Amino acid sequence: MKISIKWLKDYVSFQLPAEKLAHKLTMAGLEVEKIEDAGDDVILEMEVTPNRPDCLNFQGIARELSAVLDKPLKLPKVKKLLYPKTRCDIEIADQKDCGRYIGTVLEPVQVKASPDWIGTRLSALGGRLINNVVDITNFCLLETGQPLHAFDYDKLIGGKIVVRRAKAGEKIVTLDGVERALDPSVLVIADAQRPVAIAGIMGGLATEVTNQTRKILLESAYFDPVLIRRASRLLGLKSDSSYRFERGVDFATVEAGAARAVSLILTEAGGGVVARRDVNPGRVRAQGKSVTVSLMEINELLGSELTVAKCRTILKKLNFRVSAGGPGVLKVVAPSVRADIKDPVDVIEEIARVVGYDNLPLTLPLVRAQNVPPQPEYPFAHKLRDIFIGQGYNETVSYSLLSQGSLDKSGLSGLPVVRVKNPLSLDQEVMRPSLFPSLLGIVRSNIHRGQKDNKIFEIGKIYLGQAEYKMLAVMGSGTRDKDWRALHNRAWDFYDLKGALDQMFARLGLTAVVYEACEDPFFKKGTGASIRAGKTALGRVGEVDRGLLQQWDIKHRAVFYAQCDFEALYKLASKKPSFKKFSEFPGVTRDISLAVKEDVSFQKVKEVILKQGGALLEDVAFLEEYRGEKIQPGYKGFIFSIVYRSSLKTLTEEDISIAHGDIAQALIDQLGVVMR
Amino acid sequence: MWNFDDIQQKALQEIDACRDLDEAEALRVKYLGRKGLLPEIFASLSQASPEEKPLIGKGANQLRARITEALEGIKKRVQEETFDPTQRIDVTLPGVAPVLGHKHILTQIIDDICQIFVGLGFVVQEGPEMETEFHNFSALNIPVDHPSRDAFDTFYLESKDPGNPGRHLLLRSHTSPGQICIMEKYAPPLAVVIPGKVYRPDAVDASHSFMFYQIEGLLVDEHVKFSDLKGLLTVFCKRFFGEEIIMRFRPHFFPFTEPSAEVDISCYICKGKGCSVCGRKGWLEILGCGMVNPKVFSAVNYPKGKYTGLAFGLGVERMAMLKYGIHDIRIFFENDNRFLNQF
Ligand SMILES: [Zn+2]
Repeated sequence: MKISIKWLKDYVSFQLPAEKLAHKLTMAGLEVEKIEDAGDDVILEMEVTPNRPDCLNFQGIARELSAVLDKPLKLPKVKKLLYPKTRCDIEIADQKDCGRYIGTVLEPVQVKASPDWIGTRLSALGGRLINNVVDITNFCLLETGQPLHAFDYDKLIGGKIVVRRAKAGEKIVTLDGVERALDPSVLVIADAQRPVAIAGIMGGLATEVTNQTRKILLESAYFDPVLIRRASRLLGLKSDSSYRFERGVDFATVEAGAARAVSLILTEAGGGVVARRDVNPGRVRAQGKSVTVSLMEINELLGSELTVAKCRTILKKLNFRVSAGGPGVLKVVAPSVRADIKDPVDVIEEIARVVGYDNLPLTLPLVRAQNVPPQPEYPFAHKLRDIFIGQGYNETVSYSLLSQGSLDKSGLSGLPVVRVKNPLSLDQEVMRPSLFPSLLGIVRSNIHRGQKDNKIFEIGKIYLGQAEYKMLAVMGSGTRDKDWRALHNRAWDFYDLKGALDQMFARLGLTAVVYEACEDPFFKKGTGASIRAGKTALGRVGEVDRGLLQQWDIKHRAVFYAQCDFEALYKLASKKPSFKKFSEFPGVTRDISLAVKEDVSFQKVKEVILKQGGALLEDVAFLEEYRGEKIQPGYKGFIFSIVYRSSLKTLTEEDISIAHGDIAQALIDQLGVVMR
Repeated sequence: MWNFDDIQQKALQEIDACRDLDEAEALRVKYLGRKGLLPEIFASLSQASPEEKPLIGKGANQLRARITEALEGIKKRVQEETFDPTQRIDVTLPGVAPVLGHKHILTQIIDDICQIFVGLGFVVQEGPEMETEFHNFSALNIPVDHPSRDAFDTFYLESKDPGNPGRHLLLRSHTSPGQICIMEKYAPPLAVVIPGKVYRPDAVDASHSFMFYQIEGLLVDEHVKFSDLKGLLTVFCKRFFGEEIIMRFRPHFFPFTEPSAEVDISCYICKGKGCSVCGRKGWLEILGCGMVNPKVFSAVNYPKGKYTGLAFGLGVERMAMLKYGIHDIRIFFENDNRFLNQF
């Protein structure tokens, strides 16, 4: 809300420069966002929090300021008018929609330009001047916070006001000249036949007050805040009135605002009141709530040492009624405009605000030992991050919401995804059921920006059914780390990714991890593998299907992807194997060169070696895979390097020859391997 | 008696004839080694007559010094003669190292912030992102007709809320429901920080994102005071932004805290004078906080009047943007390598 300092001085006197004033207001909870010089005036732009609709007007701000600056509040005196007995015809369809409606009919009014004192005040805030009657309604809104509207009475068909919901198909041309279609969620002010205003938001053009107008009906009302807010959103139409109705106006101000406007119209436009009616169907009486609060509560919560006298003074300056409720106890009644004051803490906040938060003491809290355990997955996630960062992978953070299209393009169509009911765009339709589309999207955008080497990982949630699961996903594409000593940088491939995973498993102490070939919709045929440890499924790894990549507009490029279940990793990693004593005797290394049938996997060969090697075998390293002329067709060459070591003695040449020979024989017998 | 002159002359001739380091080493062994000539000479001292002893001692020491010196000299000469200049490496060529990756800056900021509170006795907890209306709104004293519950301000899911027939689950619009999750499960004293993603249907631009990170903090015990809130957050801001930072607590409004405050720090660009980054205010708003509203305690069935608490919430992207001078929130989620590699 914008306020003019010059205008504000009508209600409270002060000599502070604008910056100091802005600071005082800000530190009292009325944050000044902007200070603008405007000739002999200064305009402050304030952010008023939603609990303080009473501060959306000059009198409200002046009341705050009078408390903060300890200066008297000067409110305009409104002469009490004697209204005629004649009642105007006002009907409220539902008192839930409209709690109070005061209609005042005045004639003959002389509609003309506003007097200077109103004109300059409104213009200073950037308001457009219309005519004296309309300007007075705007002036009173800013002064008192009560939105008002004036109708040209003679244009109201049947001379009647009906507050009702719009009928389906009804339309109205509003004051801004736009025709708007209405529906029953919108509250309107109608005459005997048609809507003449959108209640609380904007009047209609047909009943606008013009220079020809002689008789007016002045509306001052209370409309349901939620109804006004929804209608304003629905119609895409906001006004100074709707802004205040949405936040709630005060029942008492409905009357005070009307009285102020009527008295100004009588002075500035002449005429007299010929009819009036105050419809208050719920017979609601505006009154603040009574709250009892003790000095002990105040000082306990604030950590302060305030006195009863100090608290009483502050509250009185804010127009609270304060009486003693016993020793050290205050009985407080807030003014009716302060509908936000309901409980002791509300009163304590008022005191704290006016004392100034910066003037309250500062202490360090006592943080005791507690029952809440730290979430162990939090440090574990950091451990995983460190493992991948140490291997050159960048961590990404991506959106959890995706488009259905990106799932379809990833072969992830059939999953029980969680859908968003009200996405803003197609990119936010579903909660991601996999990290795959997120990572592929990142790799794609990097490639399209000329960055061809990508090694990324993310630890993030996926969402399936009613549940959220944390996942680890890794993706890579491009060449291996650059080394100027090497002629060519080898392309990054499946085994680079698998190696990174193996490093992780080793670091986490998972020794029995097995990869098994499997088919998967997003992997190229023949490259996918499932990963498990014992019976626990850990994840999958493979090369992304080329057709799929093409749909993502990634061409001529191999991309590799792996994902692991975070929770499964965490559970297995917490069962770390115990320390193994190492042998003090020397080990001996022997290589073994084999020709293995093409359909026999490395894993099978290794298993036979490990099983046959038994206690003497310490380690098996894979040295080479070979295909070519030196080997018979249908076979591939494998070279292993085996380390033999005993924990009991130094092995003799004979011990080793027997062990090595046994392994060779087992491979020949069980897998039809040929020694080379 | 030894003829030291002859021995020395022969030895120096031999040394001078060396062509490489191996030959020099062989001569060292021959004369100076454990079984070499000099130990033999010294050993003969025990059999020598009293007149001979000083002569032998002196001669042997001189001989050792000359041979050692000659060997050093020849080693240097041989090295010079045999050095192949092509063996000289260009020590200015770049080193080769395995590439290290980078933690995402948001992860780093979250951890930096959480660790400050962990050091003060807080524990890190995470809550679910798919939440109920009760956790996200009602329990936090946000009324049924509050604007933030509208579909304009909160993402609702098609999934139904199993505990509230006819209502749907939603994506938490702040981390504050994490407070409720913790308090439903544990009795005070408790001190937690809850980092995580939150969601709001905001149109995406340089300063708005439909998904971002928040960190929630909650301390509940008997006798927690507003002055404690000020103290705690002052310690936090000084550790995170630096000791020289100036802060202020400004009254604000949140339904779930009372009194409520916003914390501003003096603008790091203009040092409080006012600039475009701080909107000419000289201050930067960094977090919201307050004393837990008693209505929140009653929503989690804590005994009335027994506990007080402090709570705070801050936006992680904003902290990162302030700390590193980033001006567009979208860059965090683009994951361009040139961005990731900077942190
Ligand atoms: Zn600045």
